[in-house]
Amino acid sequence: MTPIGWRILRVIAILAIVVWSLGPILIGISTSLSTQREVNAVPSHWLPAHPGFQAYHDLLGGTSGHAGGTVTEKGTFTRSVYNSAFLAAVSTFFILIFSTMAAYAVGRLRFKFGGAVLALLVGTMIVPIFVIVISLFKVLAEPPIGPSLIDTRLGLVLVFTATLTPLATWLLYTQVREMPPEPEEAALIDGCSRLKAFVRIVVPQMSSGIAAVAAITMLSVWGEFLIPLLLTQTMNAKPVTVQITEYVGKYSTNYPILAAAGVLALIPPALLALALNKRITGMLAGSS
Amino acid sequence: MPEPRHRSGGNRAARETQILGWLFVIPSLLLVALLILVPMGHGFLQSVRSGGFLFGEKPGYVGMRNYKDVIHDPVSREAMVHTVWYVVLAVSLELVLGILVAITLHRVFRGRGFVLAVLILPWALPSVVSGVLWQRVFDPDNGLLNFVLLKLHVIGEPHVWLASGRGAIFYITIVHVWGVLPLVSLIFLAGLQSIPDEVYSASSVDGAGPVRQFTHITLPLLKPSVAIALTVGTLLAISIFDEIYVLNGTALNTRSILMQVYNTTFVQADFAHGTALAFLLAAATAIFGVLYALALRRTTV
Amino acid sequence: MTETSGTISLEHVSKRFPGGVMAVNDLSLEVEPGEFLVLVGPSGCGKTTALRMVAGLEPVTSGEIRINDRVVTRLPPRSRDIAMVFQNYALYAHMTVRNNMAFGLKMARLPRAEIRSRVDEAAAMLGLTDMLDRKPRQLSGGQRQRVAMGRAIVREPAAFLMDEPLSNLDAKLRVEMRGEIIRVQRRIAAPTLYVTHDQTEAMTMGDRVAILRDGVLQQLGTPDEIYDRPVNVFVAGFIGSPSMNLITARLAGTVASFGNSSLDVGERPGLSAYDGREVVLGLRPEDIGVDGAGSLELAVNRVESLGSELMVYLDSGVPGLELTARLERRADAAAGKTVKLPVDLERLYFFDTESGAAIW
Repeated sequence: MTPIGWRILRVIAILAIVVWSLGPILIGISTSLSTQREVNAVPSHWLPAHPGFQAYHDLLGGTSGHAGGTVTEKGTFTRSVYNSAFLAAVSTFFILIFSTMAAYAVGRLRFKFGGAVLALLVGTMIVPIFVIVISLFKVLAEPPIGPSLIDTRLGLVLVFTATLTPLATWLLYTQVREMPPEPEEAALIDGCSRLKAFVRIVVPQMSSGIAAVAAITMLSVWGEFLIPLLLTQTMNAKPVTVQITEYVGKYSTNYPILAAAGVLALIPPALLALALNKRITGMLAGSS
Repeated sequence: MPEPRHRSGGNRAARETQILGWLFVIPSLLLVALLILVPMGHGFLQSVRSGGFLFGEKPGYVGMRNYKDVIHDPVSREAMVHTVWYVVLAVSLELVLGILVAITLHRVFRGRGFVLAVLILPWALPSVVSGVLWQRVFDPDNGLLNFVLLKLHVIGEPHVWLASGRGAIFYITIVHVWGVLPLVSLIFLAGLQSIPDEVYSASSVDGAGPVRQFTHITLPLLKPSVAIALTVGTLLAISIFDEIYVLNGTALNTRSILMQVYNTTFVQADFAHGTALAFLLAAATAIFGVLYALALRRTTV
Repeated sequence: MTETSGTISLEHVSKRFPGGVMAVNDLSLEVEPGEFLVLVGPSGCGKTTALRMVAGLEPVTSGEIRINDRVVTRLPPRSRDIAMVFQNYALYAHMTVRNNMAFGLKMARLPRAEIRSRVDEAAAMLGLTDMLDRKPRQLSGGQRQRVAMGRAIVREPAAFLMDEPLSNLDAKLRVEMRGEIIRVQRRIAAPTLYVTHDQTEAMTMGDRVAILRDGVLQQLGTPDEIYDRPVNVFVAGFIGSPSMNLITARLAGTVASFGNSSLDVGERPGLSAYDGREVVLGLRPEDIGVDGAGSLELAVNRVESLGSELMVYLDSGVPGLELTARLERRADAAAGKTVKLPVDLERLYFFDTESGAAIW
């Protein structure tokens, strides 16, 4: 094959990647701007003749039954988005605190049981969440102190923090290992205790890794489905991932509304991924 | 000048470090212990007890009976077969496509940043949303796939994709791969970037063309990345759930093990058998994890 | 700047790493008030480990360390009243130059006015005044090194520690910074322990030099003492560039011979025990070709002209051994020729072939 031949092949491949990655998203957007009649027509219309935001109005404002197959109530979807955002932000906050400390302890302090701790944490990553869900349900329903945590945001935050801290710790650990220890040593000589040096010097040193891990955890929590499916009932804590499945009708589905929900649900993670793209790819690629 | 502190026996700085180490590790350990390990133990206990009066049985310890039931249950077995298909299909696609994507994006070109940003989107979206987006592709009446294939006269009439046996599994796999491929591509991209350019230059001088370079240099040197991608891909595929739930619900023809667990535990309220099946899955996952870790250690010399 | 007049002393300090490696073995030395003592040796000789033990960054296996007569062996670094300059600067990347230098003082809770004045004074001394508000990544290597020094100076510590601070700089900058470091040290007058693997730095900068090998102190003395009276073959070969020629020669009476050459070295009391045996003969390249009672006639392998002088590589007659001679630039030597070179017999060294100890 000639060099030009290879080049053309590469261009085709690049286009294919872009179409493959963006395609379904674009279809979703187009669907969300169409009317139900256009979508349900056979053959279907792929581009709306008169794109409009009717589906979004229905989704957010409530359909009171007039949209075939899907019933929405005003404010429900919005509330679920808020829940997702809350869960992502608060869980990430705690995950970062715990994982930074643990990664530092194992990776820098050369903590005596570091190997065991790391193995334990990594081990829990392999365990599928299902083996603990039922008992988790019991633990959360009757915690040693306080009221039931089922269907609460706090309960979910605790669960997400527990399930994602191991991964975050692992990612940060690989970072800490590569960081030069001298600035911390200089801080110790400059008069800091270990703790002060950690807070003032090491954590800022880890800042790019922390940002990447934050992005990854937020995306993970936003995308959590199974756990909230089982642990939430009311809009108290229901995130958007669970809410959206309620728009898939048993017999027929109002596709524009479903697509609108999908589009709205993907905007925050998409924005986050685009903004922190370099950091995320760096961390994912670097830790492998 | 700071006053000398009271000197205690033993190295103070080292002790300070140990204490700090414990302090820093305890929150994570506590959380994991309380919310993962304890429930896990609890869950195991549940899997070796009977379902109780709800199922017309005496409550109590039944040993491995639930596990045996599950292994012999035809529906569960079907789910296991499906899961094997999911894993095999998903991982094969991910490996092949992942390497191709990585090779395509390896060298810098104008707009590469844009493509990388776009590449990562499917991974960033919740898999439930992916299922929703792909809905319209597979819809039997007017989905995109049918539309295109009808137009191209590949099929005569619209296919009901998600109802047919193996086909449904394949299409769900596609959706799953759509979300995982970015991650696998990045793994291979990192692997490619760790191969120094000089190796290719030297082989060019020795007369190797692009294809030869690929098979004799790239592939062998990518073995560690393949191991990682295999591990990650398998772990993710073996616990596939979200996509199935959105696209096909608990329909029998596409049930994965996890979906079967969900059905048993929450639809049929059979916690005992459900947990047993979950632990079987956990065991399988752990075995794979260990196998791959060993394989990885052997490849990284 | 106030003058501090303290000492750093290591008393029988040893460090054993898990696994049994003895990185530092029974090291004892004392840095006098205001002294610049250089700890030098090849990689892995334990010099950095020793320095880190003084700093408190590495726990001591046995022995005591005192700073200003105060036992600090088990104290954490922050209680030792020391300052350290690292090889790769170890600056706080997220802080400005000013804050880098002020950090230690803030930790010591000095009043703001005092911090400001100390930082400004140190910055002036090091030529950093214009860069106080920049971040480390905006500075060159030499500037970063100066900030690292500034950070150490403002603390007005009882002792200064430096871990190969010049190794990351290019050759020209290194020479410039050598002078800078000495100048600053003289002004501060705190005892300084300076670690390097470069013997040129050791010879040009140190008031005294301590040579380490495999964790064991080989010799401690002024640069002149080390150069003129090396106590063993290792020190002799390590100090001096190009390094001393070391030849295994056979002694018969007062004549030492190797290859096809022999030198009548005269009566030397220490050598009488070695009559009829082999000794290691040491001769510095700069001591060949100068007026002397002995002479060597050797074939020239090759010649390198450095402009200011000639490096002549001679065939010693012993297979595998090439001798180096440093001759003046107009000397008559060319590859392939045989030259006759006078040798100053006073400048010959002798070492035991087994122990390496010098034979006086």
